[in-house]
Amino acid sequence: MAPISIRLDRVSKRFDHTVKGEVYAVRDVSLSVAEGELLTLLGPSGCGKSTTLRMIAGFEEPDEGTISIDGRDVTHVLPNRRGIGFMFQNYALFPHLSVFENVAYGLRVQRKGTTEIAHAVGKVLELVGLANYERQQPHQLSGGEQQRVALARAVVFQPKVLLFDEPLSNLDAKLRVEMREEIRSLQKRVGITTVYVTHDQEEAMAISDRIAVMERGEVVQDGTAQDLYYSPATEFVARFIGRTNIVEARVVSPAEVEIEGLRITFASGLPVGQMVRLVVRPEMIELQPAAAGAPDSAVITHHTFLGEKTDYQVKLGALSLQATASDHYRKPVLKIGQTVAVHFHAQGIHVLK
Amino acid sequence: MASRGFASEGRRVLRDPLLLGVITVLWLLLALFVLYPLTVLMVRAFSDEGRLTIEPLMTSLGDSSHRAAFFNSLILAATVGVLGTLLGFLFALTATRTGLGRRWLTLLDAAALLPLVSPPFTTSIAIIFSFGPKGFISHHLLGFDNVSAYGFVSTALAETLTYFPIAYLTLRPIIAAIDPNLEEMAFSLGGSRWRIFRTVTVPLAIPGFANAFLLLFAASLADFATPLILAGNSFPVLPTQAYLQITGMFDFKGGAVLSLMLLVPAAVVYLLQRYWVGRRTYVTVTGKVGQRSRTRAIAPWASVALVVATVLVAVSILYFYALLVFASAVVAFGANNSFTWHHYAVIFTEGVPAIRDTLIIALIGMPLGGLYGVLVGYLIARRRFPGRQAMEIVSMVNYALPGTIVGIAYLIAFNDPPIALTGGAMIIVACYVFRYSPTGIRATVALLSQIDRSLEEASSSLGAGSGETFRRVTLPLIAPAFFAGLGVVFIRSMTAISATIFLVSLSWTLITVRILENMTEMALGPAAAFSVFVIVVVFAVVSVLSAILARLRTATAGAAARSLLGG
Repeated sequence: MAPISIRLDRVSKRFDHTVKGEVYAVRDVSLSVAEGELLTLLGPSGCGKSTTLRMIAGFEEPDEGTISIDGRDVTHVLPNRRGIGFMFQNYALFPHLSVFENVAYGLRVQRKGTTEIAHAVGKVLELVGLANYERQQPHQLSGGEQQRVALARAVVFQPKVLLFDEPLSNLDAKLRVEMREEIRSLQKRVGITTVYVTHDQEEAMAISDRIAVMERGEVVQDGTAQDLYYSPATEFVARFIGRTNIVEARVVSPAEVEIEGLRITFASGLPVGQMVRLVVRPEMIELQPAAAGAPDSAVITHHTFLGEKTDYQVKLGALSLQATASDHYRKPVLKIGQTVAVHFHAQGIHVLK
Repeated sequence: MASRGFASEGRRVLRDPLLLGVITVLWLLLALFVLYPLTVLMVRAFSDEGRLTIEPLMTSLGDSSHRAAFFNSLILAATVGVLGTLLGFLFALTATRTGLGRRWLTLLDAAALLPLVSPPFTTSIAIIFSFGPKGFISHHLLGFDNVSAYGFVSTALAETLTYFPIAYLTLRPIIAAIDPNLEEMAFSLGGSRWRIFRTVTVPLAIPGFANAFLLLFAASLADFATPLILAGNSFPVLPTQAYLQITGMFDFKGGAVLSLMLLVPAAVVYLLQRYWVGRRTYVTVTGKVGQRSRTRAIAPWASVALVVATVLVAVSILYFYALLVFASAVVAFGANNSFTWHHYAVIFTEGVPAIRDTLIIALIGMPLGGLYGVLVGYLIARRRFPGRQAMEIVSMVNYALPGTIVGIAYLIAFNDPPIALTGGAMIIVACYVFRYSPTGIRATVALLSQIDRSLEEASSSLGAGSGETFRRVTLPLIAPAFFAGLGVVFIRSMTAISATIFLVSLSWTLITVRILENMTEMALGPAAAFSVFVIVVVFAVVSVLSAILARLRTATAGAAARSLLGG
C-alpha cells in the first residue's frame, strides 16, 4: 500500500454554543489518507465533515489531537505553510483579478518568474479546458467555468494535498455529474492526495477511493463504497448510503431466520432464539405474483415506475418493505393491491451489530 | 470556555509575527493617543496635591454659572434634537413620499449636505449677517436697529440648520424602506391618509426618530463653534465655558472639570444610540433607497405642502451660503456693499500660513487616517486575537467624546514631558486621525461583512501570509472604505475646531482658528472669504473621491460613498 500522506490522530474541536454550552464539532477523529488516494468525508450537514477538512487546511485549529502531512506534524502550522490546494464551496475566486491572475496567485506568492508563471498557468488552464480564458473576469464566467478556474488555481502550484469543500453544491444536477467525473479524472492523472467533503452519497460513491461517514462529529465507518453499502456498521450508515430496509428478525436455526413468520435461509452465525436486525437493500427482495392467502404473501401498496427500474412498497404482515425490480422489459409491472410472494436474496443481507 | 479560546487565539497570533507587530503598534498608539490623555485628564480633574478627591467637581458644581452652563447645554441639545429631527423628517418625507423628480432631489440633497461639509462658523456668520444689528433681514428688510443676534434662539437655530442633515440621512433610508405597499394596503382598507400616517408610517419610523434625536443631541452637546459666536454671555454652555476657563484664566484644572461634566450626558447618549437604537435601525438602513414607485398614501395637497416647506428650508440654507459668498466679496457687509477682492487678497497673503498649515496637516492626516481606519476595521472584523473587542471600543472613544474633552485632554497630557508634543503639527494630526478615522473603521467593517471570508482563506491556502493576503486581496476589496475614511479625515481636518482649538500654536495654526480670530476682531469679510475657500476645497476633494469611488464600482462603493458625508 502507498505510504500515508495525511494522518489525523484523535482530533477534536469544540465550540461554544450559546444554548447548549460547549459542544463537539469534531470528536476523537482518527483518519489516514494514502498517497494519491481520494478520501471522501460524507455526512449530513452539521456532522463535522467541513470542520475536519478546515482543520487539515489549517483554517481551524484542533483542541486536541494531531494532524500530520507527509510525516510532518502540522497541527499548529499556519495554512499558508502547509502546501495545500483548497476548493471552496463558493469557489472564492478573487473578484478583482482576471482568470490568469487568479490562477497565477499562488505562483506570484512564491515569487516565480514571469515566463514560468505564464507557462504554468497556460498549461493548467488547458488541463481544465479553459485555454484562452486568461483575460476574462470571474463575474463573466458561468458557474462551471468558475469551478474550473478555482480547480486550476488550487492545483497550479502542485500542492501535496488537495481539499474539496462541497465544491459541486452550487451547480445544477447535470453539470454536477460532469464536473465530478472531471475532478476524479484530473485527480487520478495528477495523482494528488485528496480529501473531498460532500453530503451527497451518490457523489461520494462516484468519486471516492474510500469514504469516511461522519455523524455528530465522529467517524462512524471508513471504507470503500461497497463496504459501506453491503456491510454498514450502523443503522445510520445503512440509511445514509442508498435506500434500505432495516428488518427485525429472529434466529430460528443456524441456517434460518424468521421475518414476520416467513422463514429465510440465512446463516447468521448467531445463537438460536436471538433477535437480530438485518439490512436488506430493496434490490435483494424479489416479488412474484402469487395467489391470495399464500403463507408468504404480501400486498403491493405503492409503486413508482422509473424506466430502468420500478420501486415498490409492499406490506408483509406488519412490515412495510421497499423492493426494486429492474427487469420490466420482460415482466409486467405489478399493480397496487396485487398479492405477491416475497423472496429474500440471502447473500446480500447484512446483520447489524 | 473563553479562557481556552483566548489561549489558542493568543498562540495563533504569536506564530504570525506581522500580525503580532501590527496589533502591538496599534495598541501602543491607542494607549498613547486615546487612553493616556483621557487618564491624565481624569487625574488632573480629580486630584489635589497628589491625593484623589472629588472636591474640584463639587466646587465646580457649586458655581452657579457652571451649573447654568451644564443645564443650558442640555436644554440646547434637547431643543436642537427635537427641531433637527422634525426638519430631517420633513426632508426625508418629501424625498421619499412626494414623487419629486431626480433632479429636484439632487438639489435638495445638496442644500441639506452643504452644512455638513462647511467650516463650523458658516451658519453663525450667516445669521449675524441676516439678523445682526446691520443684518440683511433685521435691518434692511424689516428696518430694525440694534437688534441682538446673540442668545439661545439664534444658537438653537444655527445648530438646527447645521446638524439637521444628520437626521435627514438617518431617517431617509428608514422611511424609504417602509414599504409603500403597506401604506397602500391600509389605504385600500379604508383608512384615511392621516390615520395611516399616524398609525403606520410614524410608528414604523420611531426607532429612526430616536436615533436621529440622539445623534443630534450629541452633536449639539459637543458643538463649540456655534455657541462661542452666537450664545453670548447670557447663555453659557459647557464647551465654551471650558474653553474660556483655559484660554482666559489658564485654569487647566477648571477646564478639565468642566469638560468632564460634558462626559456624562455624552456617554449616556452615545451608549443609548449605539447599543439600543443603533442596532434596531441597522437592518432597515440597508434597504433599497428610491427604488419604489410613488405612493398615493399622502394626499396631493399634503405633498404640495411638504414640498413647499422643504423648498423654503432649502432656499434659506442656500440663501445663507449666498450671503456668505456675497459678504466675502464686498467691502463691509451692510455698510458698504461695493465689490472687492480685498478679503480674498487678505486670506491669500496674511492667511497663507494658516492655509498652508491646514493643508499640510490635512494631507498628512489623510493617508494615515485612511490606513489606520482600514487596519483597525480589518482586525476587528476579520482577525481573532485577545483584546479584539477592547480594541473596537477604545478606537471609538475619541470619536464618541465631545471635541472639547479630547482637546483639553491632549493639551494637558502632551504639554509637559515625558511626552511634550504641544506646539507641533504632530499633535494636531494625531488628534484628527484618532478622532475621525472611526468612520473609516466602520466603513471597513461594513464592507468586510459583505466579503466572504473564504477569499482570504483561499489566499492563505495558496501560500500567502497574513500581510501578503491583506495587501493582495483584502486591501483592493476594501479600497472604497479606505477612500471614504481618507475623505472624512480630510473634510474634518479642514473644518473641525472644537478639539484642535486647544492644540494650535504660534508655529502651527488652522484656517478654522483664523476664522474664529477674524470673527472676534469683527473682521467678518476675511472670515467669510476663508469659509468660502474651505467649502470650495472640501467640495473639490469630495468630488475627486466620489469619482474614485464611482470608478472602483464595487457593489459596496456606494455605501462607502454615503459614509463619506454621513460621518
